[in-house]
Amino acid sequence: MSKPEDPKVTTTPHILKEELLAEGKWVKLEQTTYVDPAGNTRTWETVKRTTRRTNTEADGVGIIALLKRTLHKDCVVMVKQFRPPLGCNTLEFPAGLIDEGETAEAAALRELKEETGYKGEVVGVTPVTCLDPGLSNCTTQIVLVNINGDDVQNIHPTQQLEFVEVILLPLDEFQSKVDDLLQKEKIIVDSKVYIFGMGMAQAFFKPRELPVLKQ
Amino acid sequence: MEFEESGIGEECGVFGCVAAGEWPTQLEVAQVLTLGLVALQHRGQESAGIVTSDGASPPVYTSHKGMGLVSTAFPPEALLKLRYGNLGICHTRYSTTGISELQNCQPFVVDTLHGRIAVAHNGELVNSRALRKKVMRHGVGLSTCSDSELITHLLALTPPMEELDTPDWVARIKNLMSETTTSYSLLVMFKDVIYAVRDPYGNRPLCIGKLVPISRLHSPGAEEEDTEGWVVSSESCSFQSIGAKYYREVLPGEIVQLSRHGVKSLSVVPRPEGDLPAFCIFEYVYFARPDSIFEGQMVYSVRQRCGRQLAIEAPTDVDLVSTVPESATPAALGYALQAGLPYMEVLCKNRYVGRTFIQPNTRLRQLGVAKKFGVLTDNFAGKRVVLIDDSIVRGNTISPIIKLLREAGATEVHIRVASPPIKFPCYMGINIPTKEELIANKPEFKDIAGYIGKANCTACTAFIQQAHCLICWILSQTTNIYIRSSQYLTKLFTPLKMVPGLSNYMQKLQCSKGILSNRAELIKSSA
Repeated sequence: MSKPEDPKVTTTPHILKEELLAEGKWVKLEQTTYVDPAGNTRTWETVKRTTRRTNTEADGVGIIALLKRTLHKDCVVMVKQFRPPLGCNTLEFPAGLIDEGETAEAAALRELKEETGYKGEVVGVTPVTCLDPGLSNCTTQIVLVNINGDDVQNIHPTQQLEFVEVILLPLDEFQSKVDDLLQKEKIIVDSKVYIFGMGMAQAFFKPRELPVLKQ
Repeated sequence: MEFEESGIGEECGVFGCVAAGEWPTQLEVAQVLTLGLVALQHRGQESAGIVTSDGASPPVYTSHKGMGLVSTAFPPEALLKLRYGNLGICHTRYSTTGISELQNCQPFVVDTLHGRIAVAHNGELVNSRALRKKVMRHGVGLSTCSDSELITHLLALTPPMEELDTPDWVARIKNLMSETTTSYSLLVMFKDVIYAVRDPYGNRPLCIGKLVPISRLHSPGAEEEDTEGWVVSSESCSFQSIGAKYYREVLPGEIVQLSRHGVKSLSVVPRPEGDLPAFCIFEYVYFARPDSIFEGQMVYSVRQRCGRQLAIEAPTDVDLVSTVPESATPAALGYALQAGLPYMEVLCKNRYVGRTFIQPNTRLRQLGVAKKFGVLTDNFAGKRVVLIDDSIVRGNTISPIIKLLREAGATEVHIRVASPPIKFPCYMGINIPTKEELIANKPEFKDIAGYIGKANCTACTAFIQQAHCLICWILSQTTNIYIRSSQYLTKLFTPLKMVPGLSNYMQKLQCSKGILSNRAELIKSSA
């Protein structure tokens, strides 16, 4: 118990200065000097994108697109591509950076069309969320999209990017389908994707048999 | 209408679906099967059953059966259990006089030497008694009195020419077809295919549809890659509601294989001695849904043509034409069009009143009929009415209706029936009451007007296109009839419509079988 005349020293952490260490075409490295909650001055190595637009809060968008066709299972549109930083294929939601003057929603529909060929409609968008806060200041907004699979333009769509493979995974078996893919080939699954799968499995889970009947 | 009242029923509907392309499929096979059954609900309301398979080797079958309508028999949990199927067959059953038990519900699933099969059947085997004895003599014990179980066991028997390890389903099915010639429309599910089989006489209907994306449903030619699946159904009316295009009929005697790769005709078993096909005429008259297509024609159009013909054969001097709702409506409209008379509704039907045949005696039954209908007095009071019905069986339904109309103010009530009177029972699965009960067999039939109550009554004596099973109908003394074996009757009257190939068909008949004396006229009029 501290005496009333001795106030505990607490500071709101804040940045003091940012010093550029290296810059490439797309990414730059800075040294961030900041004050920690105890009042001490520290530094942090921070990665930032050079492409962040002035009027947008998020760097990019991620898209959870649900392909809905009559009498078919609802499927999530996934993309598989080679990612140089990892040196192997990844399974991700379609994503991309927000262009100058674009809203998150507009960016999402554009990226979806470019990467997968599907034309969708926005049904929701998350607040700005961070991607890897210990490393960078990169943020994203996840945009929820429905695709009318009965529409003529969404039947066998043509995609504009050659190296991206589109994979459709049924929503109600999402996690098990992702696990099947992991068995079959060497890919790394994006964490947002896997968490989404776990959440879906939890939501759809229904006990199929009473435990007491098990032999 | 009287069919519905008397409890004469069609004995079932069958439906099957195979998803095309890669498996596990993204097509909701269980939902397609359920929707298909709902569209065939008019063919049976007693119970329904679905069996889906994952098509693997060995396959995992999931089945669910339930009593009552499809909506009550399949709660959401059941559909959830069925949803990992890549193909499946299903069945709706009609209340027969036997006990309604879940074990009698189809499809039947049995293990055979080569694996598990599921069977769905529509029809009744004409030689079932003898066949049961034969099967039991082979050492098989039967647990139900249904033909479908019999068929399943016949398929499980090893045919003489089959080698030990390779199942030859065509041979097995052909073996079955040689044991019993009619009547059956059959779906047999084995591993990753469905065999669709129709008896050589084509007595029961069966047709194939192609599932395409919804937006392509009405475009003229869908490409190969658009095929999402194949469906097979007792009636084509189910296709619209599941986004399937009508593909073709299963021909009489044909064995068709439906798989994810497509539709393949494996064999067509011919009829003995060049017999004519015998498609049940009552599918046209009463049972089938009006939007179904048989032999290339829509049922509604056939009924309407009968109404027109009826107006030609049996005109009446009246003020308006009406129908007994709802099966007679196309015929009534045809009659009105042909006669140039106004068509008005005079009866209002309560569709929530159950079939009245459950009532024990005739008097209560007649009261029941009155409960089912109300009169639209404003439409016909003070007028002369002709009422069209699609068929006449006992005559019990029409009498109270006539009474209702007269008491409500109709000055004259005439009855015209759009099909010939029923004189004989059916051996092929439609339980028509005994010969004695049929009004056409009663001595009063000569004075039918007096019998059913002061109404002018004529039945249409003209019918149809190609050979059909007409065993239940009257043999008119005035027309030349060509009588075949005791199994079924064939007759050709003045054709109401030229179907493609009819004149060829008639010429063939002339060559092979002997001639009706007015055949030459018929051929001339068809040319």
